[in-house]
Amino acid sequence: MAELFTTDVGADLAAAADEETAAAPQRQALKLFLRNRSAVFGLILFLAILIMTFVLPFFYERDPGDLIARPHLAPGSEGAPLLGTDQLGRDLTAVVVYGGRTTLRVAAGAAVMIVGFGVMIGALAGFYGGKVDDVLMRFTEFFQVLPGLLFAIVLVALFNPSVWTVMIAIATVSWAQTARLTRAEFLRLKNLEFVKAARAIGASDFRIITRVILPNAMPTLIVSSTLVLGWAILFEAGLAFLGLADVNNVSWGLAIGRGRAAFTVNWWAVTFPGLAIFATVLGLSLIGDGLQDAYNPKLRGR
Amino acid sequence: MRKEGLSIASRLRRLLALLFALSLVAAACGGGDDAAEDADVETDASGDDASADDASDDSGDADDADASADDDAADESAAASGDPVAGGTLSFAAVGGVRHLNGTVQSGYATAVPGTQVNASPLLFDENYQPQPYLAEAWEVSDDGLSVTLDLVDNAVFHDGTPITSEDVAFSILTAQANHPFKPMFEPVESIDTTDPNVAVITLSKPHPAILMAMSPGLLPIIPKHIFDDGQDMKEHPRNGGDDFVGSGPFKVASYDAAELIKLERFDDFFIEGRPYLDEIIIDFVVDANALILGMDNGDYDMISAPAISIDQFSADDRFVVEAKGHEAIGQVDWIDLNTRSEALSTKEARQAVAIAIDQAGWRDIVELGLSSSNLTGIQNGSPFYNPDVANFEERDLDKAKALLESVGLGDGFELDMPTYSWGLDDSEFIKQNLEDIGITVNVRQVPDFPTWSAEVAGGNFDLTYNQVWNWGDPVIGVERSYRCDNRIEPPGVIWSNNAFYCNEEVDALLAKAGSTFDDAERQAAYFEATAIISEEVPLVYMGKPDWYQARNVRVQNPPNGIWGFMSPWHDVWLSE
Repeated sequence: MAELFTTDVGADLAAAADEETAAAPQRQALKLFLRNRSAVFGLILFLAILIMTFVLPFFYERDPGDLIARPHLAPGSEGAPLLGTDQLGRDLTAVVVYGGRTTLRVAAGAAVMIVGFGVMIGALAGFYGGKVDDVLMRFTEFFQVLPGLLFAIVLVALFNPSVWTVMIAIATVSWAQTARLTRAEFLRLKNLEFVKAARAIGASDFRIITRVILPNAMPTLIVSSTLVLGWAILFEAGLAFLGLADVNNVSWGLAIGRGRAAFTVNWWAVTFPGLAIFATVLGLSLIGDGLQDAYNPKLRGR
Repeated sequence: MRKEGLSIASRLRRLLALLFALSLVAAACGGGDDAAEDADVETDASGDDASADDASDDSGDADDADASADDDAADESAAASGDPVAGGTLSFAAVGGVRHLNGTVQSGYATAVPGTQVNASPLLFDENYQPQPYLAEAWEVSDDGLSVTLDLVDNAVFHDGTPITSEDVAFSILTAQANHPFKPMFEPVESIDTTDPNVAVITLSKPHPAILMAMSPGLLPIIPKHIFDDGQDMKEHPRNGGDDFVGSGPFKVASYDAAELIKLERFDDFFIEGRPYLDEIIIDFVVDANALILGMDNGDYDMISAPAISIDQFSADDRFVVEAKGHEAIGQVDWIDLNTRSEALSTKEARQAVAIAIDQAGWRDIVELGLSSSNLTGIQNGSPFYNPDVANFEERDLDKAKALLESVGLGDGFELDMPTYSWGLDDSEFIKQNLEDIGITVNVRQVPDFPTWSAEVAGGNFDLTYNQVWNWGDPVIGVERSYRCDNRIEPPGVIWSNNAFYCNEEVDALLAKAGSTFDDAERQAAYFEATAIISEEVPLVYMGKPDWYQARNVRVQNPPNGIWGFMSPWHDVWLSE
């Protein structure tokens, strides 16, 4: 009991000391981020997409599956909704507005799984090294060497496309990158002075991993997470484009895949959902770049 | 450390870009895979939006061709008035690929288009469905309908120089009888006498009204016995396709890649003097309908089966002729199979409600772009056996549909499972929206490809599904199979058998009667009565009969636009200029 107590105090002290030094760079980073025009543009773009996806539906109530008008109505033509209609006469405005829900939900879910699992594996491997590292890294490599898209296609096809299977498939084929990245960060950090100090005070492994090393690996991981989210969105769109999506849930990728058959006469059915994906991924990418610059100000302008 | 962070970020970004590019590439490949799977199926592999562009089944009269098509046809016949010129290469394209070239064991458009170029059949058929000489210069059906005599031309040889004899005809018929998916086609054949090498006498167990139709190019290619009769499984025989394929038709294989491209060249010893005109045919397999349209527009192809979406574009283009003519005998009917074994659809009333709620006219107008006409019986309109006076559920009356559901205790709504793959998605989603209006929730379940879908449907693992089934010239060949009790094949089942698991013994008796007489009036009466019963019991909801359009370069003369369309030999085709 007493031992535990001292351990906690020691770790808390170490963590507190660490956080104190970390807090100033956090504010510094935020300031740098907000001063970065392209990063702010990315943030605004992404927020706009979020608002469109999660707020706009309350003001634009419509079932995106409803057949509301003639098929292939160009935007701006008579009787056409704002963004025209697709090959079945569905409202493309509704498809774009509602389609983001599935896309973002799947991508966010997949990103959480990727980061969660990847960080866990990477942290354990990097921290413990030796046999644990060997086993975990061979396991990671197994997933890394499989061609991601093909593996995901097999997984989704095998278990029938649904929001969950797509999410899990994306996470399954994508977590290895994050694991390797985390492992590298842990390898770098675990021999630094403050980690040794925490260890000397008697902090438990769990504490060192979660409270000492992880916060210091965060800048890199946050940057990579934004990119992972973008990756997952493209991946979901790619799978849906290939027809590997639950067709009862409209999504941007699905809309592109479905509109493709008629693109010689109906460019808008693929263009608008495509623009939505483009804007989202661009926004995330700019945010990621901005964070990168903010956390590593010395590299700006490179 | 910082450097490392950046390089990882940029690496990730590069991967993002790569993934996107990869997904595009994979998309192209994905389409190809689907299509390749379709290749061996009867409803052709014209790609994702193929529903509209596949088939037509009017009985030869061209009055369903739209005005522009008629004009084009007129222009074309004027241009064709010159003397045929030999030589040249004709380039044809289709979506998908082939499994092989042996039509005795494999039905389908994909096999039949190249297959009818490299293999000759006993008979050809003219626009009035009348047999014309081909390998058989004369033929006779005995008065009792129990024997058919074929007199073969005496100068016909296979591509390896071996003469074609009655032995080969017998071998081909028996192979088809044992292996071809259309069981009724040669079912009544009892024996074939080949005493005279130039005469084949076929003995039947009962009169078979479609026996001559079954000798059409796509249905009975004559294959060399000396190559194939080695005891191997005919369905998997190594000589079914390949550079060394030995056929009997006007063209022989020059190079063979079942998934990409087949090149055919003129067979100099073809049994019809001076034919074929063409030196070479290229059959290019593309990944989807868009590739077909773009290739045609670029001038890469001389002739394609035109996807519905492209018809306006090509009709307006002087370089092309677009016609809704050809392929009439195929007789495609699009329908919704209702699984009579599924609990919710086990009653006639529930199925009628579904049929009433489905907006057939809207489907023809929107999904088929108006290039499809009404069909009420599953027998192609225009056929003498098509009965227009049957139960008609085309008028959409939601109250009536709901009342019918209530009458069988389904008024509170229920869910239905609707498997499909890329090919039927638009159709399925359209029907999903229709049925939502009477409280039925349809779960459209997109499966990865054709084999999965056919396994689901054949195995009865569905409530309803969108389907396209062909008449193949005569109800005995293409219609009966969908209704006969003995064609309800237990799981794993067979696709395009009686997939609704429908059974009515009265219908069976009528179909048997119609299928064993040459008397057209008698056949008509039996089919009229049978289809009246079937239509009222709604195992299938008939959606319509799509028109089949072909687009070709104006230089193509004597185009293959007869009742079998592209699935007939192109030995008369020539190129002007």
